[in-house]
Amino acid sequence: MSVINFEFRNEVLKHNASLSYCYQCSTCSGGCPIALITNGKYNPRKIIEEAILGLKDKLVESQDPNPWLCSTCQKCVELCPQKVELTEIFTLIKNRCFESHKYPEAFYLQGHSVFENGIAIPYSNAIVARRKTLGLPEIKTAPIEEIKTLMKETNFEKNILEGNK
Amino acid sequence: MGYDLFLGCVIPARLPYLEVSSRKIFEKLGIELHDVDGFSCCPDPTGIEQIDHKTWLTLGARNLSLCNSNGGIISFCSGCVETLKGVNYSLNKDNEAKKEVNDYLSKVGKAYEGKVEVKHFAQVLYENLDKVKDSVEKPLEGFKVAVHYGCHYLRPSEIIEWDDPFEPVTLDGIVKNLGAESIDYDLKMECCGNPVEKSDKDLSLQMIDNKLKAIKESGANCVVVVCPACYQQFEFNQRELNKKNNSEYDFPIFYLSELIALSFGFMPDELGFKFHRIKPSKLFESISFTV
Ligand code: SF4
Ligand code: SF4
Repeated sequence: MSVINFEFRNEVLKHNASLSYCYQCSTCSGGCPIALITNGKYNPRKIIEEAILGLKDKLVESQDPNPWLCSTCQKCVELCPQKVELTEIFTLIKNRCFESHKYPEAFYLQGHSVFENGIAIPYSNAIVARRKTLGLPEIKTAPIEEIKTLMKETNFEKNILEGNK
Repeated sequence: MGYDLFLGCVIPARLPYLEVSSRKIFEKLGIELHDVDGFSCCPDPTGIEQIDHKTWLTLGARNLSLCNSNGGIISFCSGCVETLKGVNYSLNKDNEAKKEVNDYLSKVGKAYEGKVEVKHFAQVLYENLDKVKDSVEKPLEGFKVAVHYGCHYLRPSEIIEWDDPFEPVTLDGIVKNLGAESIDYDLKMECCGNPVEKSDKDLSLQMIDNKLKAIKESGANCVVVVCPACYQQFEFNQRELNKKNNSEYDFPIFYLSELIALSFGFMPDELGFKFHRIKPSKLFESISFTV
């Protein structure tokens, strides 16, 4: 049984009031490439419905439909007749999944790399050499202490270091 | 004038040969690009933003705070452009968020003002289409190009504010002005599937397979892209799909800057074409394009 969670619903609404405009017409799902390719197993309308009802257990605990399947193509956002900002709402839901440490490994790896290096892909020796051969300039990226300070402020440090399950 | 160059992570650290052609064409066009020290990841709108929106805003705002060229920022990557435009968009409409981000930034001696304009390199090229056209020395005859716009170059249109989100014209316009033909194909506006790789590799492969099938049917002989994520999705998966499904994909994948550089008369050797997995040399031979 799903439990309506008003607190969670209000949290989403506070973050993005456009949620309340949804009238469940399903235009978003009709244009969604992932809904098409998964025969509707992934379904943006359904995620919005669950958010309207505040079904945190579905959205964050069981993740059904799985919000990580969204390709972020932004078609639904363009198509929605009610101007619901679907992907912004999905982002909030995925952020909550991150705080509960329930998210895919690849996101953990990228997050960890940016936390440790300031960039998603650190420069290997081979690439540094190749850049030189190609006549490209050396890159000076962000001072890592600066990035870590900011990531501590936003609480990212704590969440990323606790890992994913 | 000139632009501050925001390189991001993927091109300079994994696909540096794409940076070569990109720098060369702007030099040839006389459009100045300034290198800036101290950028972090943009951060990735399909990665970091999805796990922590606040961190995405904060690091994005920090990157923007480092820029001061008159033209604003230029990037060769659609993801970086979406992030930097998206951060501007979010912070300019939400004072509370802007104040919070600036509180964080003050801890590292930085401040976000929100005055830096952000442009995709293809936008700058399109805005200089006459110059581009005038610099073509070797028209790309025989190139039947499947143009792949990619999602983040266009959408959300309210944030990107460039070209039509479903019926775009800019990349086709550039390609035609190089003397190449733009071939229409089914699924032209579909996502390449790259971001889904992080959560479901099979789905991601299915998406690119569908696109490649449609391109094959269209009679195109190469693909052009403007985003390193799309580039990797098209370039790195053709062989894998061939092994898996007995398909016979061998489309050379060009970055828009590479096609332009070829038409400007640069040599494949100086553009690093040997680093492509699917070598363009076969195509050059088959259409008698002498380089
Ligand atoms: S298209 Fe918009 S209004 Fe219709 S179901 Fe989707 S989110 Fe709701
Ligand atoms: S952004 Fe996500 S939910 Fe929306 S249409 Fe694209 S894949 Fe579907």
